[in-house]
Amino acid sequence: MKRIITGGLLALALLCPGAMADEAAWAPKTFTLDNGMEVVVVPDHRAPVVTHMVWYKVGAVDEAEGKSGLAHLFEHVMFKETENLGPEEFTTIVQRNGGQLNAFTSWDYTAYFERVAKPQLGKMMELEAERMVNLKINDDPEGPFISERDVVKEERRQRIENNPGAILQEQVLSTLWKGHPYEITVIGLMDEVAALTPEDGMAFYEKYYSPENAILVVAGDVTPDEVRMLAEATYGQIEPTGKVDGTRKWAPVPLLTENELIVHADPKVRQPSWSRYYSGLSQSRQRRESYALDVGLSVLGGGMTSRLYQALVEDEQVAIDVNTYAWTTLHDEGPAIISASPVDGVSLDELDTAVMAMVRDILAEGFTDAEVVRARNSLAAEAIYGRDSQSAMANTFGATLALGGTVDQILNYPDAIRSITTDEAIAAVRKVFGNDRHYIEAELVPAEGGI
Amino acid sequence: MTYLKLILGAATAIVLTACASEPLPPPAPETLVETVTEPEMVVHVHKGDFAEIQQFETPGGVSVWLVSEPSIPILSLEMAWKGGETSDPEGLEGLSDSVVYNMNEGAGDLDSLAFQTRMEELNMSFGCSTGNDWTSCSSSMLIENATHAMDLIASAFAAPRFDDGPFERFQRESLIGIKQRETSPNWLARTAMANALYPDHSYARQTRVESISALTPALAREQMRKLMVKDRLLVTAVGAVTPEVLAPMIDKAAEGLPETSEIDVVADITLPAASAVPILVDLPQPQSLVSFSAPGLKRTDPDFFTAYVLNYTVGGGGFESRLMKTLRVEKGLTYGIYTSLSNSDHLDTWSGGGQTKNESAGEFLAGIHDELNQFVADGVTPEELDDAKAYLTGSYALGFDSNAKIADQMMGVRQEELGIDYFDTRNAKINAVTLGDVNRVAKDYLSPDAFTFVIVGEPEGIE
Repeated sequence: MKRIITGGLLALALLCPGAMADEAAWAPKTFTLDNGMEVVVVPDHRAPVVTHMVWYKVGAVDEAEGKSGLAHLFEHVMFKETENLGPEEFTTIVQRNGGQLNAFTSWDYTAYFERVAKPQLGKMMELEAERMVNLKINDDPEGPFISERDVVKEERRQRIENNPGAILQEQVLSTLWKGHPYEITVIGLMDEVAALTPEDGMAFYEKYYSPENAILVVAGDVTPDEVRMLAEATYGQIEPTGKVDGTRKWAPVPLLTENELIVHADPKVRQPSWSRYYSGLSQSRQRRESYALDVGLSVLGGGMTSRLYQALVEDEQVAIDVNTYAWTTLHDEGPAIISASPVDGVSLDELDTAVMAMVRDILAEGFTDAEVVRARNSLAAEAIYGRDSQSAMANTFGATLALGGTVDQILNYPDAIRSITTDEAIAAVRKVFGNDRHYIEAELVPAEGGI
Repeated sequence: MTYLKLILGAATAIVLTACASEPLPPPAPETLVETVTEPEMVVHVHKGDFAEIQQFETPGGVSVWLVSEPSIPILSLEMAWKGGETSDPEGLEGLSDSVVYNMNEGAGDLDSLAFQTRMEELNMSFGCSTGNDWTSCSSSMLIENATHAMDLIASAFAAPRFDDGPFERFQRESLIGIKQRETSPNWLARTAMANALYPDHSYARQTRVESISALTPALAREQMRKLMVKDRLLVTAVGAVTPEVLAPMIDKAAEGLPETSEIDVVADITLPAASAVPILVDLPQPQSLVSFSAPGLKRTDPDFFTAYVLNYTVGGGGFESRLMKTLRVEKGLTYGIYTSLSNSDHLDTWSGGGQTKNESAGEFLAGIHDELNQFVADGVTPEELDDAKAYLTGSYALGFDSNAKIADQMMGVRQEELGIDYFDTRNAKINAVTLGDVNRVAKDYLSPDAFTFVIVGEPEGIE
């Protein structure tokens, strides 16, 4: 998800000599407020609007045992009430000012955002600063905390329990990350969410929500000086609590030590699918190697032109689809995945045999330089296209910094990805799918009898 | 060698927009080679509040709206033709879909793999889609590759291959889609609603195993020449180009399209009375999806903006809508419930939906009824109306902060024929809506009796 750049401007320079100056103005700036809050400004002057985000370096990874889902439920509660804002008034004020707002929680971070016309930016900072320090949590046992908990339970049903593929993936990931804080899905286990209390919420707030644990990202029609002035007048006035627990529970994810088969049979499944989840890499821990893995998996199974698609979907016609990809943007190692779905008449066992035979052949043979160049250029070009979306820009900078990364890593991404060699790409894929590596095989199949 | 002639004083405006530091940038050499005559191109510049739109007809006769945006070296291109799936012959449902699927699956000397590889080499995207009323293609390209990218699109339009390989793959994927949709709550709800409200209209037609199996590349080729023609082609573009640079590239792309075609006339739908009882569709899952739909308003209806403003308070305003405030925030019954006005060529609806656990389906349904009844009985408050207007007008600029969004917005205006000043006049129309109008429209449209309800899941407490 980190695709940004400053390069590739030759053609624009030819067409529009003024463009280079504009490029210089785009360069993101960072600084830190006296209370420790980091600030990133990403100028984009195409439209008079801004995307304003506050990222907190806390996520599901930081939840205590038995409190799964707290980081996410707490994110919902942040919209409720503060000392100076009545119930639900936060949203009312933002929308009355023409703003769009939302928030999201990951294992690694929690982020809140408002998108507004530029003149409203200061107001948004006042509001976010207010809930950074003055949140109230109503402890009425039938009150708004409880109804919000019910909302999250509905969210869990909607995201996971209605969806056979998501049910299976939850089981697989909890096996892959057994013993690691990623083991439980961000939204939490139903019975643990149901037991969360207003007191849990307030303790979480006091432990993690403070300026020294937050990053401000403003993308859009602003200059760094304007942002600094507004930020100092709002966030800058907040005293750091000084008691933020900065020790994250991040830890390297151990390699799988045995092969496992997980089958989910569901009456809603009409088309079976098959996957293998291997222990993968993360950009935070193995940056260059994870780039090489992304390039290699793109060549192997990253779309219609990939080796596996051409062999199994087009030539042999045993699969209706086949893909390889890796989750490399979490702080700790995520899975590297091979997935496929069979054509009618091919069993999942036959599919498994065909796919893995082809993977072995391709990895033995290696990649050509031409296909590696194409794959890495495509990844680099996504960075240019990514610049078209102001919110995607803000997300990239926020997520990278929240994981301890740097602005330079984002700016250098296209050059870095273009420098991945054919040897590096094949080596990374050979390593994660190696014969010495274990995997979880996941099968999604129709329930007997169906409906 | 000649520059395209610009009149109506447009040259200055264009140049100021695209390249402030050079008065008249020479077009890329390869585009000049294509310019064998000296066509006159009139560029009308509409300096709007949200975008400066350059409106012109290319020498080849294609109508284009362009916003020049030099700050990122990319181009977003949208193309659309009136006419879509309603033109599939009886028994060949899926034909238009097979056309659009195959538009990037090989052309000229390039087979599917070679075409897809070429797109990757150029770091471009190009793909087409179709709906009931419209067929569309869109493309993103890096400016440095624009000439080659447009050449590839030209070859897709002039010499699409419709090879057996990708065509049969389309059929295999479609047949699996037909199996999978049978347990998709959204598809089940949509289909039950269509069958209840307009079962005999072409909007209610579905692909079937037989119709997909009956398709052939020859039929698709013929249908493509019917859907994609020069005289119905609408183009919108946003990116680091000027009209002089873009026009010849578009002409070259459209060169191989037929001049015109006949498309079938489709009847408007007159909705019948709503179903008196909810329509239940059984699906084994923990939640029930509740969908509801009633007659809506045409874009040209004098009350359209009134309804649009009212919808914010009903279920269009996220947490500020009453359905969300009551059913989510207060009662914790759902993760989300929304309403919207939808417009197509032959059907206008006011519809909504949300999901709740099966055990609370009855309470959820009753809650929706209660809220709708309150709108009919008491309308909205002056404060709610002010909030709706403030959000709808204040947030409008957020839809114009990217090239892709602006290209898309312009295409919407062109398709619905709202006028080139639509972006500039839209907020005034919203501000002109009165409380009396809103409450009258609420009475006329929001009675729960006007809505057909479809519930998919294993709902409890439904009578």
